[in-house]
Amino acid sequence: MNYRVAMLLALVWLPLSAYVMFRPALGALGSYVLLPAIPSVIVLYVLALRSWRESWVAILGVTLVCFWLLMAVTAPYLPLLDPNKPLVPLVTPGGMGHGALFLLGSDMRGRDVLSRTLWGCQRVLVWGITATSVAYVVGAGGGLIGGYLGGWWDELVSFAGNVFLSFPVMVLFILVLNLLGQSGFNIIIAVTCSSAPVIMRIVRGLALDAKSRDYIQAAQTRGEHPLWIMLVELLPNVRGPIIVDACLRLGYTTVAITTLTFLGLGLQPPDPDWGLMIKESATAALLWKYSYMLIAPALSVSSLILGFNLIADGLREMSLRD
Amino acid sequence: MNQHALLPKLCDQLRDGSLSRREFIRCAALSGVAAGSAYAMAGISAPAMAGGTLPFPAAEQGAKRGGKLRIGQMVARMEDPATYGWNEMANQTRPMLEYLTLVGPDNVVRPMLIESWKPSADLKTWTLQVRGGVMWHNGEELTAEHVAWNIRRWSDPALGSSNLGLSTFAALTEYTGEKDSKGQAVRRPLKNGVEVLDSHVLRLNLAKPVLSVAEDCGEFGTLVVHPSFKPPLSRNPIGTGPYTLAELRVSDRCILKRITKTTDGRDFHYWGGEVYLDEIHFYHYEQENQTAALASGSVDAIYELPVEQIELARSIPGAQILSVETAQTLCCRMQVDVKPFNDIRVRRAVIKAADNAAIKRLVFGDHGLVANNFHVAPVHPEYFPLPPVARDVAGAKQLLREAGYGEGIDLEIVVGNNDGPWQQAACEALRDQVKEAGINLAVTVVPATKFWEIWRKVPFGATSWAHRPLGTMALAQAYRTGASWNESHFADPEFDQALSDAEATLDVPARKLKMQKVEKILQDAAVVVQPMWRPVFILASVKVHGYKPHPARQIQLNKVWLS
Amino acid sequence: MGNLIIRRVAQMLLIMLTVSLLLFAIFDSDQFREKTAVAELGGFGMATLSDSDYHQWLEKKGLTAPFLSRYVRWLGAILHGDLGQSTEKDIEVSVLLRESLTNTAILAFFVFLIMIPVSLTLGVLAGMNAGSPLDRVISILSVFTTSIPQIATAVLLTVILALGLGWVPAKSAMTDGWSFRALVLPLLTLLLYDIGYLVRMTRAAMTEVMASQYIRTAVLKGLPYWRVILRHALRNALIVPVTLIFLELNGVLSQVVVVEVFFQYAGFGRMLFDAANFGDIQVLQAATLVAVCVAVGSQLLSDAAYVVLNPRVRFT
Repeated sequence: MNYRVAMLLALVWLPLSAYVMFRPALGALGSYVLLPAIPSVIVLYVLALRSWRESWVAILGVTLVCFWLLMAVTAPYLPLLDPNKPLVPLVTPGGMGHGALFLLGSDMRGRDVLSRTLWGCQRVLVWGITATSVAYVVGAGGGLIGGYLGGWWDELVSFAGNVFLSFPVMVLFILVLNLLGQSGFNIIIAVTCSSAPVIMRIVRGLALDAKSRDYIQAAQTRGEHPLWIMLVELLPNVRGPIIVDACLRLGYTTVAITTLTFLGLGLQPPDPDWGLMIKESATAALLWKYSYMLIAPALSVSSLILGFNLIADGLREMSLRD
Repeated sequence: MNQHALLPKLCDQLRDGSLSRREFIRCAALSGVAAGSAYAMAGISAPAMAGGTLPFPAAEQGAKRGGKLRIGQMVARMEDPATYGWNEMANQTRPMLEYLTLVGPDNVVRPMLIESWKPSADLKTWTLQVRGGVMWHNGEELTAEHVAWNIRRWSDPALGSSNLGLSTFAALTEYTGEKDSKGQAVRRPLKNGVEVLDSHVLRLNLAKPVLSVAEDCGEFGTLVVHPSFKPPLSRNPIGTGPYTLAELRVSDRCILKRITKTTDGRDFHYWGGEVYLDEIHFYHYEQENQTAALASGSVDAIYELPVEQIELARSIPGAQILSVETAQTLCCRMQVDVKPFNDIRVRRAVIKAADNAAIKRLVFGDHGLVANNFHVAPVHPEYFPLPPVARDVAGAKQLLREAGYGEGIDLEIVVGNNDGPWQQAACEALRDQVKEAGINLAVTVVPATKFWEIWRKVPFGATSWAHRPLGTMALAQAYRTGASWNESHFADPEFDQALSDAEATLDVPARKLKMQKVEKILQDAAVVVQPMWRPVFILASVKVHGYKPHPARQIQLNKVWLS
Repeated sequence: MGNLIIRRVAQMLLIMLTVSLLLFAIFDSDQFREKTAVAELGGFGMATLSDSDYHQWLEKKGLTAPFLSRYVRWLGAILHGDLGQSTEKDIEVSVLLRESLTNTAILAFFVFLIMIPVSLTLGVLAGMNAGSPLDRVISILSVFTTSIPQIATAVLLTVILALGLGWVPAKSAMTDGWSFRALVLPLLTLLLYDIGYLVRMTRAAMTEVMASQYIRTAVLKGLPYWRVILRHALRNALIVPVTLIFLELNGVLSQVVVVEVFFQYAGFGRMLFDAANFGDIQVLQAATLVAVCVAVGSQLLSDAAYVVLNPRVRFT
């Protein structure tokens, strides 16, 4: 069951990441690379519906998240206006201009708000998921090493983690991004620096707890390699709390990326991005009649984060009930 | 009063109509005639701008005294006016220190601390008459020696002032013949460049003919300080202006108060007539926050209104939006010695596929002026109108085919948005236009600071060029062979010759004719897609009178009053 | 308990030393130096500067001495209380730090003043009546408000309250002197998120406690309901929220960056952001050390509170 889910997730994440991060390199392949992701999203949704049937909170959450995942992978194939092409500025939602219908209006430069909103989720999802995943790999790795191997490995890893934990998160982001430059890849590094220590602590605690369990000692007696024990025996048994934490963390990372982009430290223009849309509306559209430029991206990013939060809450509820 | 030899000729031209009144006034002013007299000669009453030899009217009708003007602008340090890096620093200093000449919002140069200027026929010797009765804050009177001290300072390469980039002060230096570590020639000041003839007259002996002495003396870094000046200015500013510094906190506020007494107790008498505001407060607001601050009533006027915020500004009750045309532009320039731009057909194709008027309309709407790819603006006195470049997509395709790019061509333009996101908007509009001719233009946006590292290296870049009062100035800096800011590597001896010829011509109509040749060469060489001359907007409360937008964003507050 | 504090403080000092060395190394990189040069001389001025002039400028700033000697000198200066001079704002770092910390402290004070009673009350009420309509409403609202990024709330509040209704100034730069009205927008932006977060945590803790054996026993035994709540349930339920409140000190320092930058409030977050953008190294180092202090301090307070409140736990 786990491997099926993992494979589906990979089928969604890999094409989407390739599309967002490496589109110029893909060339003609770019128009087809997202196709396998579309049915994968749908299958994932159905699987989630079935296994989380009892918690309407989790269902609502996964609906929101899968909606945006679906939008992200189908955006190139939907009949949308070009998100980067300026047509007619400041059209009210539902208005027409230049022969085109602007369902959500157009922004200061004349670009369609609806298509920018739907395209905007690609970058947030890709960089958010990638950054969180990298943070997990690093954090879990550190936690397993520290918890399982103990001794001065533990001291070293814990100290490194504590150094990074001593910074308020935003301060860390600002320092890292100013040092390394502003790009998606550097956001991954920044998020890893801030999230990995916490993950490391959690995993380390779980590892310490599980170390004394029978099945671990049995594996040790068998003479298995410590790395094998960590990955194959230990990790699968701690996945429950980790998934909940992962969803919450995805929520935090999404907020962080949007905020950093707003501050000019994150992803750069010109591609559509919710943080940038909010930023543009903050300088130019502070009037109520233009607030649709703000509401569309704000509602979108809030619904995505809400989705992650609800999944986490729902899963936690379900595990408490067991 | 000595009259310049050209003056009778100017009067003839005015009478027979070959020179418009505005241009006569400008030209007469260039020859050193007092603006008031120039208006009289042109047969029209002097407008409110020119009163006697003052660069502004002596008194405003109906003006009320008193009040505090609050301006929203980024508040910067005030170290040494000669090495100022930002315009905001100069704006904070302008109420206290003054210039030799003042470039007005209409791009006309008027006398300020020097009353008149007379060039020799070969434009190498300029005699400057210093205004009498100008009081320093410490009670002394302004003399030619003070002015000379400042000019010598600006033209000293050891100081590193950006004023050395101006022709006048560069012409007061000479090459020593040595080279520094970067391979650049070392300069030193001319021995007898600045000559003081008596207490109020000085003479500049330039190494080569310079047309723009009066304009250069009004550039933002040429504020006149007292010879006792030691940086930082904020500690002890002594100037000739009607205000002095009461408080400076960088990134917070800059408070200026009107001077009534000199430092040795006497009454301070300002040479420039009536001044109305009691206090001037600059409050630090980031550029994008200034409009919102005005909307909330936290400030009465702001430094600049970015074009994206015009809608917001329009909805503020009790606010006025003012605009002015400038010679500030965006140069999408191609390097003529780099593939594929070394083939003139490719460059011509890009230009033919572009629609300058459409780009201007998209970015600035009804404001701004369309430009025609030769970097001389209608606000320049020597502007010669060439026929506009017509869009011709079929022609562009044809040219590309001839050049061997029948299947289309991939290009990349780099833009840094140094002046605002409108630059990117213009590049993207260009991209959509040239696509129809088969040119795939990728717009690469880099952070502004990064752009300054690469702006001269990229083959196709979009650089924002600031306003300059004379058309020849930008051409000399950007297109003359080997000029330090020649980003397009354009090198045409015929162009250089024609430009030097134009620069040696004081007479405006004659210069216009010579500029026709210069402009044509540049336009035909298809070096740059220059779609528009951008307008500058400011926003102020209706209570503020006399606050005018300036093409170089200079804030001149002497005649501003609050109701 | 005393042991815990001593150990933690020692750890904090060690971390601060490591961090300061790291920072010094980072800011010594060519990138940051060029950044400072660009900010001072202007982008254009920097591009046209020759190598020898750049080197001269570096020397003038004292940036050409060897790394370790500069670090040691700086360390000595810090221990004497001399935090250096801000190159951007031309005032002493200690003055700047004091003023901006005061401003942020004022903002934080009001945030905590309103957040603590409101969220604890709402959380306890929701937890007590788990599953009731009141609980549903509070839960939904709190999950919702914690899902909206603060930049979105900030802009929306500006549109409605400042430019729409005109009740408060749009930016909090306090140009006309300190006024509480200018503080309203940043306060509301922070509160909307923080209250929601604390309500969720309090409610979770309360429901857990309400479902526990001893509470149910107490009620069955016939003790008055309110007495049970006040005497027993609250004391246990509030352990986690109280420790979280201490950790919020650290969280506020993080949230306050974007709020202060957007509203132009002259606080610690904005100072840090400006210094990082400009490359104002002295300010950045001092600010980062202060931030580390606050973060570690808040963690220490939180752990100490946990130990004090929960007699069953003792750290070895």
